[in-house]
Amino acid sequence: MSDFEPIPPASVVLVSGASRGLGLAIVTDLLERGVKVAAFARTVTPELEALASKYPDDTHVGSVDVTDEKAAQAFVKEVEAKLGVIDGLVNNAAIGQDSLHVHTSSDRIAQIIETNLTAPLVLTRFVLRRLIGKGLRGRVVNVTSICGQRGYQGLVAYSATKGGLDAATRSLARELGGRVLANAVAPGFFASEMSAVLGANQLESIARRTPSGAMTTPEDVVPTVRMLLLEQTNINGQSIVIDGGGSI
Amino acid sequence: METLDRPAVRKLMAEVVAVQGKTLPDDDTAKLADIGFRSLDFSELALRVEDEIGDELNFEAAGLRSIETIGDVLDLLVEIQGQ
Repeated sequence: MSDFEPIPPASVVLVSGASRGLGLAIVTDLLERGVKVAAFARTVTPELEALASKYPDDTHVGSVDVTDEKAAQAFVKEVEAKLGVIDGLVNNAAIGQDSLHVHTSSDRIAQIIETNLTAPLVLTRFVLRRLIGKGLRGRVVNVTSICGQRGYQGLVAYSATKGGLDAATRSLARELGGRVLANAVAPGFFASEMSAVLGANQLESIARRTPSGAMTTPEDVVPTVRMLLLEQTNINGQSIVIDGGGSI
Repeated sequence: METLDRPAVRKLMAEVVAVQGKTLPDDDTAKLADIGFRSLDFSELALRVEDEIGDELNFEAAGLRSIETIGDVLDLLVEIQGQ
């Protein structure tokens, strides 16, 4: 017989980049299911403020730049004091790119890597140190992208960070076996993001080429994040693509 | 920062096209698709402009998606230098 003990559902979840889009949708979903949620973003939006007001005992919200290590660590300690030890982490904060590599400044490349790869690794390290040091177990969900697995023009540095985070997810799962389930969700392009750079005809064309017939929305991704945080599945070290089959 | 004016950029564009054995039409409304001028050709032209002005031209890809004519290329490269 195995002495395997399932890792319990997360009870206090930290979501970075929670002010809008997927991050906000994840926060909303978890709060509706009774999970305590800490959420930060560079700017706290009225939508996030409204959630904090609606669930005052179950939320802790703050304005934190994920690349500010000290501020992020201080926020984690505030969360512990108010909600308890964080046993679920969703690394969602990221910045995008829409520039050919040869026309992207070295400063911008460094900024993309710092925000999308270094910062989540550092935040994960800090949260895990607090968790493991207290003998607890938990779950990590990294929000990556289909760009980490497929090539796309204008996204070289961004893709490198998302592929790097996918790789880190697998190594985390190995390294933390039995104590933490580490997984990633890899969404396809969100229609809301693409509409900023593509015309309506191009968006329709992409949707037509997608086997499901639709581009990805944040609401498509939320159920998988919820499952990875709350359900007993034994999924570990995986990057789950959610793109309507666009990349197959 | 030194900048190149529109005729100077057009001269460089003609050189890029000439390497491919083609001649750049005089008409600024000529379609890029008709002369086979692609996004990497734009990059090559932008890098040649950089060499001339001694500075990097870094820019988003969104502007590239709307260029259709020779005039669009010249307008964009003159505009980018001014940023």
